[in-house]
Amino acid sequence: MARVKTENNKKVQITWKEMKKQSFLMIISFFMVVYGIIFYYWPLTGWLMAFQNYKPKKGLLGSKFVGLDKFKFLFEDAVFIKVIRNTFAMGVINLVTTTIMAVLFAIILNEVRRAWIKKPIQTISYLPHFLSWIVVTGILHVSLSPTGIVNDVLMRMGVIKQAINFFAHPKYFWWIVAFANCWKETGFNAIIYFAAITGIDPSLYEAASIDGADRLQKIRYITLPGIKPTFLILLLINVGNVLNAGFEVQYLLGNGLVQSVSQTIDIYVLKWGISQNDYSLGTAAGLFKSAVSILLIFIANAIAKRYSEERLF
Amino acid sequence: MKFKKITALLLSTVLMASMLAGCGGGASNATSGPADAQVDAAAPADDTAPADTADDTADASGDVKEFTMFITMPGSEINDDNEIAQMIADKWGVKVKETWLTGQTASEATGTLIAGGEYPDFIDSDEMNLLIDADALVPLDDYIDQYPEFRDTWFTPEEWDKFRQPDGHIYWINPFGNTLGETKQTTHNDEAFWIQVRVLEWAGYPKIQTMDEYFDLLEKYIAENPTMDDGTENMAYTILCEDWRYFCLENAGQFLAGYPNDGSVIVNKSNMTIEDYNVSEDTQLYFKKLNEEYNKGFVDPESFTQTYDEYIAKLSTGRVLGMVDQWWDFAYTVNDSFKQSGLDQKGCNYVPLGLTTKPGMENRWHTYDDTVNQASGIAITTDCEDPDAAFKFLVDCAMDQELHDLRWWGVKGVDYDVDADGLYFRTDEQRQNWADTSYQAAHRCQYSYFPQWHGTSRDGKNANKPEEQPSEFMNDMAEPLKNCFNAYGVTTYPQLIGSVKETNGPWFPMYSYSNNFTTETPGGVAWAKMGECKHEWLPKVVMAKNFDKGWAEYMDAYNACKPEDFIAEMQEILDTFK
Repeated sequence: MARVKTENNKKVQITWKEMKKQSFLMIISFFMVVYGIIFYYWPLTGWLMAFQNYKPKKGLLGSKFVGLDKFKFLFEDAVFIKVIRNTFAMGVINLVTTTIMAVLFAIILNEVRRAWIKKPIQTISYLPHFLSWIVVTGILHVSLSPTGIVNDVLMRMGVIKQAINFFAHPKYFWWIVAFANCWKETGFNAIIYFAAITGIDPSLYEAASIDGADRLQKIRYITLPGIKPTFLILLLINVGNVLNAGFEVQYLLGNGLVQSVSQTIDIYVLKWGISQNDYSLGTAAGLFKSAVSILLIFIANAIAKRYSEERLF
Repeated sequence: MKFKKITALLLSTVLMASMLAGCGGGASNATSGPADAQVDAAAPADDTAPADTADDTADASGDVKEFTMFITMPGSEINDDNEIAQMIADKWGVKVKETWLTGQTASEATGTLIAGGEYPDFIDSDEMNLLIDADALVPLDDYIDQYPEFRDTWFTPEEWDKFRQPDGHIYWINPFGNTLGETKQTTHNDEAFWIQVRVLEWAGYPKIQTMDEYFDLLEKYIAENPTMDDGTENMAYTILCEDWRYFCLENAGQFLAGYPNDGSVIVNKSNMTIEDYNVSEDTQLYFKKLNEEYNKGFVDPESFTQTYDEYIAKLSTGRVLGMVDQWWDFAYTVNDSFKQSGLDQKGCNYVPLGLTTKPGMENRWHTYDDTVNQASGIAITTDCEDPDAAFKFLVDCAMDQELHDLRWWGVKGVDYDVDADGLYFRTDEQRQNWADTSYQAAHRCQYSYFPQWHGTSRDGKNANKPEEQPSEFMNDMAEPLKNCFNAYGVTTYPQLIGSVKETNGPWFPMYSYSNNFTTETPGGVAWAKMGECKHEWLPKVVMAKNFDKGWAEYMDAYNACKPEDFIAEMQEILDTFK
């Protein structure tokens, strides 16, 4: 029998009386459940396509089932293997760099004592978050071109003799993407850490001061432990997002020369699902991505459970 | 408390209702869409809205049908109050709102339309097969038969048959490449190695036959003229490599070997076999030369990372001496901009050269016959509410000379004048206007993806398009370009390129078949993979420090795509013409 938790954690037997008492809540939640089914679970029936040779003309019910053929095609395709590698690599690089940058920025900003400097810096730093990727990649494309400002500065400083075409070399690509992500998201991601730091009891700092701790020691022994729970929860959530390494950046910055390192699963899905009209193959690739993401989040949660008190579920 | 409860309940009900409304709407659309699309009650109501905004030309505008059209090519939208569009609407009762490709590739845009399930009234896509798969197009056979005159003049029965899909229907009509009456071909509307006339002028108009001579000349010119008059650095050669436009890099090998533009393969007529130009000796020589020039620093280092817009902007500065491209891919925009900036007077215009790998070979860069690309064209979708009116306008575009003149020549007395012999001519100012982008948006309306004619007008005197009017063509040319034509003793671009005149086989062009390959067949999968492989490796080969090593690696990657599957399927198609 299902049991309902009440506020004081006593288990209550489901009875008609209890249901009548909670009738209002039940009516409201009924709508939400329906909403969830229609918008979250019903679309998942589309996953069927991954096991069919889907044709838009015939529809989901009329298309032929082909079992795991599409998955077989996927994993026999050397390009797809590279695509998985790229997605993982860029996802991890992005996760690590943006997290470090956000924590670092929040701490540095916290150490600024004057509000009239702090506030404008904070506002300015999160503004890039609201720019669309097309604008950001446009700026990158221009500034990193052989005649762009980056090459110009490097050449004038004597670091390089000849202009480098950054987008023509696969070795730079992941780092350009990571840089773009940091540039765009650092300020915005820092907001939550900044809030966490603000939430730390000021008396801790006062006590540390009395004990003779300097600034760095205060950061080391108070601020960092203070934001650890926030850090871990965000890390957990983001691990599940690693495979969402991005679509727009890679799509907009990529070109033929770097396609072996620039294509992510999302781009692969677009390429085969939409451009080649092979919805089934696209769905199969997307399904694979979801499955791996779920797996990742379970693993990360298990690890977190084991080593600390923070966890998602 | 009570109030809160009621509000909450109300809110969730509204949410629910709006959801269901959303679903219901979708469903009814889906069923009414493909059903026979005769005028329903909603249509007149739709039409009155634009009529209110239209100004004093009220008499006929009550019946103006507004259609939408999507073209999977980049283009410029015209203003909503465009003058000629309004004149066409007043007289022929139809206005078409054209939208063009932005940011996506043609196949992505088409795929997105299909996934969304809502279509514009007209569509011209490079991926027609996808639209047929999705049942998005209206069969046109019955409509075509309603207009026998159009049917008989536009295509021959054999040509119509090429458009018939496996289910026996015709779904689209290619609007281009048809010649009416006597041919007046003046432009080379094909691919070529292009070179600026100032380079030829500087060298005393030499005869350039091979790729080696071509690059030799560019190198020498750069050595003596590193900058333009205003100090901008000259650039010898650039390559456009973005998405499908990488033909500018990819397929010159077939031409250099003396074959016509079958696009995806070479057809060896002597034994009717399909050959793969990707692995041919001429192609290898071509890339070896590009590699050599790249390493010498004569090829634009941004070649493989630039976008189409960046490429056009680069050409428009006049600093690029040469490149491979199709005329229609650059000339309209770039020539207009040269005219605006006066660079045409400095010899920045491009002329085509019919290069081959060895001197004295025949070249087939230019196609003399009409090329009917049966892979794409204008189609009417199942979402069109009045396919009868839509098709009638399509026919009008082809069959009504007045409409054709309005689209291509403009308004008599404004955009062109008529001399005593009835020949159309334009003044410098009129030509300048016609090339001006803001004037084009406000005044010019070509409906450029609707049927159109080359050749001679029905009046028997004028050309259907101004650029083909001999007097117009000569007057429109800047001085340096004229001098170049005179020096080589030619009067048109095709004469300059000097291709062999011959009739192409009924299979020509083979690309119109390969363009419609899908991943359903092994050949289609191979074709998709080959494209991807070439996109990555051709630039790498050109940039390689060691060409032979780079080429060998490329060949390994290329052969892994199983090109033989693709070639075999192309051979099957060619065999049907034996």
